[in-house]
This record gives sequence, structure tokens and C-alpha cells, in this order.
Amino acid sequence: MTVITDDLVPLRPRFSLLTAIRRNPTIAFGTVLLALLIAIGVFAPYIAGDPFKLSPVSRLRPPSERWWFGTDQFGRDVFSRTMYGARVSLIVGLSVAAISSVLGLALGIACGYFRRIDSLVMRVMDGLMAIPSILLAIALITLTRPGLGIVIVAIVIPEVPRIVRLVRAVVLSIRSQPYIESAIAGGTRNTQLLLRHIVPNTLAPLIVQATYVCASAMLIEAGLSFLGAGVPPEIPSWGNIIAQGRSYFQIAPWTILIPGVFLAAAVLAVNLLGDGLRDRLDPRLARRL
Amino acid sequence: MTAAAPPILQVRDLHTQFDTLDGVVRAVDGVSFDLAAGETLGIVGESGCGKSVTALSILRLIPPRAGRIASGSIRFEGRELTTLGEAEMKSLRGHRISMIFQEPMTSLNPVLTIGTQIAENVVRHLHVPWRAALERAREMLDLVRISDSARRLGEYPHQLSGGMRQRVMIAMALSCDPQVLIADEPTTALDVTIQAQILDLMLELKEKTGTAIVLITHDLGVVAETTERVVVMYAGRKAEEASVEALFELPLHPYTRGLMRAIPRVDTEADAVGTRTRLQEIPGLVPVLTRPIVGCAFAARCGFATERCHIEAPPFVEALPGHAVACWEVERVRASAP
Repeated sequence: MTVITDDLVPLRPRFSLLTAIRRNPTIAFGTVLLALLIAIGVFAPYIAGDPFKLSPVSRLRPPSERWWFGTDQFGRDVFSRTMYGARVSLIVGLSVAAISSVLGLALGIACGYFRRIDSLVMRVMDGLMAIPSILLAIALITLTRPGLGIVIVAIVIPEVPRIVRLVRAVVLSIRSQPYIESAIAGGTRNTQLLLRHIVPNTLAPLIVQATYVCASAMLIEAGLSFLGAGVPPEIPSWGNIIAQGRSYFQIAPWTILIPGVFLAAAVLAVNLLGDGLRDRLDPRLARRL
Repeated sequence: MTAAAPPILQVRDLHTQFDTLDGVVRAVDGVSFDLAAGETLGIVGESGCGKSVTALSILRLIPPRAGRIASGSIRFEGRELTTLGEAEMKSLRGHRISMIFQEPMTSLNPVLTIGTQIAENVVRHLHVPWRAALERAREMLDLVRISDSARRLGEYPHQLSGGMRQRVMIAMALSCDPQVLIADEPTTALDVTIQAQILDLMLELKEKTGTAIVLITHDLGVVAETTERVVVMYAGRKAEEASVEALFELPLHPYTRGLMRAIPRVDTEADAVGTRTRLQEIPGLVPVLTRPIVGCAFAARCGFATERCHIEAPPFVEALPGHAVACWEVERVRASAP
């Protein structure tokens, strides 16, 4: 028998992990997978052995109890190298996403709000977008020394225009909203209008776009490394491991397949997270895109 | 009448124009009116007659590239607004002159709590600490009769109904004790019972705060209930101006008469015997505003029009004491049944 009381308790259910997973399985799965990869990257020194140790005696050994993921043509432990490889991918993916989001947000807002500079900046962006990142990376590495920083720069440059376009489009649509007109009618100054009224409205689509940029940055980095235009070959990145194992593919397929699976998993994790967030943050955006 | 009090807002011969691909649109074509402190003035007219543009002109919110105030004068508390600097204009907006828009559903920023939005306005204009501004916001919510105001401060616009959002808009507009509140169709998007509540609330707050209200509407019923004086606009020009009693007693402009005849009435007796007459529309269309209008703007649709009406624009003159109209044939109109 229940007692009905007058004072209604406001509905604020406690956070339940199970409900969260049931409501957004894609976000949950993506987050768990990504968290796992980040943990691998962070704790690589504790879970893996020396990724550089050569052992000519035990070359091209298949996966076994001793070498979980087998060894490569120099007898290096593929498991250790793959674990360390997560660092490169994650650093490149996350920093490209962060840098291009910040730059893209600033430029996009400037274009959308200050119409005078719009056409100029957008034409420059169109130009940047036309540069293939692989060619740009090769050119930059020829000019300087290969390194992680150069790879990041080479991937950021063609990604920024994509963010700028998105942010600009969102700002243009928000500018014409009645609440912006209403804020202007209330005497709001430009900076406040931008920072408090316009920027928060662009964040949802920006976060979603940043996840896609992150995923594509990981793929491009692996591609660049595979082509020898990415991080220096001595650094174990998934692209490098695959590139070095390429000639032994027929006798030692694990040197390619295992880092390949990790790369796919990382990209999948970020994309799932992005898809989930898109649906969660803005159901209308999901239909528009 | 409030004629004795000096007007706080004085609009003289205002011309506001927009550049379009079809040419220059004369959205407001020589409108003048006064607003006394604490007065309620209604501006009535159909869509596109220049009511909203007049309001936007007062706050200088005409988009700069699309249009401009071509000539005329707007004086507020002795200051000329048409030539005032943008920074000074910003400190006036939302502070001395506030505006409420038609769409309460979209006039609040969806990503900010309503407390933040009201308090922001208070901090901006009254330069008080944030905490005091939030307290002011809570008071304002109480004033517009939103229950449980302390909790509502932390809510987002989507958690409120349309009527409540319009209350929030009113709270925000009045949060800095403005001299003038411009309400641009404040009740159009709301359903009828909520409309009445919002209008009552506005009038009640006007009594409390002494804010003068310019109520822009196309609804003559709203005007009759709430305003003291009415300006009827047609095609960017002023057609008639009178106290609300005089206007409804004896409308002198054929256009005003047309508007009145187009109001549907509940007449159950006539319905019962089947003698209910058809609602009368005003024949013809609103003139195209890109071409200069020769003569009276209403001439082409007017039953009283003579040759002169098509050639020469009628002057705006006082036909009865306190009742001004722009019509050549005002004597004939007056003599005919309303």
C-alpha cells in the first residue's frame, strides 16, 4: 500500500551507469574503447617491454606465450611496439582535433560575425582545403626534419577549413535568430554577444566535428608513416610498424594485421563517440548532416 | 488626455528605407508621433505597413547594410537618437528603452539559463555585482508572476511554456526600469487566454513602474483593451491618430473603418435567425512600396476616393479635437455611417 503525498519531489534520478549505457550504447562503447586505448598509451611502459630491443635470434616468430603478437624481421616484440604505437596515434589525433578546433572556431566566428573579412578568409580556406595533406607533409618534411610536430602541422592545415566552414555556417544561422536580435535590442556589446550568446551555440556541432577530425587525423598519420612521410621510422607508430612489416606480409602477417586492427579500433572508437554525441547533442543536426 | 505632459519620445517625419533588388522600399514614409511619460500608445496596421520598422528605427536596429533612416528625427529625453553614437545607443537599449519581440519561443537564448539572461542585462546597464543582479532577476520573475522564481532562475528556456517565456522577456525588458517599452506584437504567438494574461500583466506593471508603452499590433481588440491613444498606419504612413475611445466611437479614415468592419464578432442572435452578414474585406491590395506613391496611399482601395485623392497626398490634420486624420474626404466619411 502506498501513501500518496502532496509534496512532489522533483524528478532528478540518480546517475545510473546501466541506464546511461542502455540509452546511448554508441557513446558508451566508443568511450570504453577509447579509454582502453588511452590507458594503453599512458601505461605503455608498464604493460609492454622495450619496443626497440633487437633480437636477431628470434626473428619473425608467430604470436605465442612469449611474444603475444609475435616478432618482426628484427626480432622486436610487436606487442610492445603496438602498445607504444597507441601513443603516437592518440597524440596526433587529439592534438590535431584540439588545434584545428581552436583555430577553426576563432576563424569561423570571425567570418560569420564580421562579414567584411568573410569572403577573403573563406577564399584562403578554399585554397588550403585544396592542398592534399600527404603532399603537404612530404613538402614540409623535405624542408625540415621529420617529426611528430611536422606531422601534426601538416594534418592541421587542411583540416582547419573544414571546421571554419562548419562554425561559420552555424554562426550565420544563429546570427539571424530572434534571441540574438533580442540581445542586441538589450544593448549587448559585440564581445559579449560573441562569447556568451554565439560561441556556446556553436559548441555542440564543433565537438562532433572535432571527433571526426580526430579519427581522420589518426588515419592520415598512419598513411603518412606508411609512406615514410610521417613520424621518423624509428618511432613505433602503427603506420611505421605496418610499413616495416609490409615486405614480410606473406610469412609474418601478424606484423601488419595486429597494428591494423588497433588502428581500426581507434578510428572506430572515435567515430562511434562522435556519432553518439551528434545524436545526443542535437537530434536535429543528425537529420541535417 | 496626456497632452499636457511633455513627451519623452518624439518621432518627427521619420523616413526609413530599405534597399532591395526591386528598388528602394519606403517602409516608413513620414511618420510622426509623441509618447508621453507613462502613456500607452498603440500602433496598428496590417502586415508590412511599417509598424515594426518604426519600432526598430527608434532603437536604431535597422540592419545597416539593408536599410537606413533616411530622414526625420527621433528625440528621446531631449536627445536626438538618429545621430547618437553607437556606444551611447547600446547603453540606451535595454536600459532606457526596452523592446519585447513577437516570438517568445525563439527570443531567449537556448543555451543560457533565464537567470543568466536577465542578470546579464542588469549587470550590463546598472553595473551591479552578479549576485545582486541575480537577486534582481528573481524579483523580476516574482513581479511577472512566475512561481518558484528561485528555482526558475536556473532553468533553460525549453523548460518554460510560451506564456512563461514571454513573461521572462517582459521581466528582462523591465529589469532596468526603462522609460519606454516597445512591445512588437507581444501576444501574437500566444493563445487567447495567455494573451489576455500577458496584456493585463503589462498594464499592471506599467502602473507600478510608470514605463510608457508603445504597443505594436495588428489586433484592434488588443488596442481597444490596453492602449490610451492609437496611431493607425497604412503603407508606411500615418492614416489616423486619436484616443482609443474616439477612434472606436467614430473612425474617420476609410482604412480604419475597413479594419473595423473586418473584425469578426460573436453574434449568437444573428446566428440563430440566420441573418449573420458576411465579414467585409478591404478590396484590393497594399500598394507596392518600391514605387513612389502619388496621392493618398489608400486611394486605390477606398470607396470615398475622388480624383484628387489619386493626385495629391492628403495632409494629416486634426478633424476633431484630438483626432487627426489624413483624408481629403473626411467630411463625407464622417457623415456616412461607420
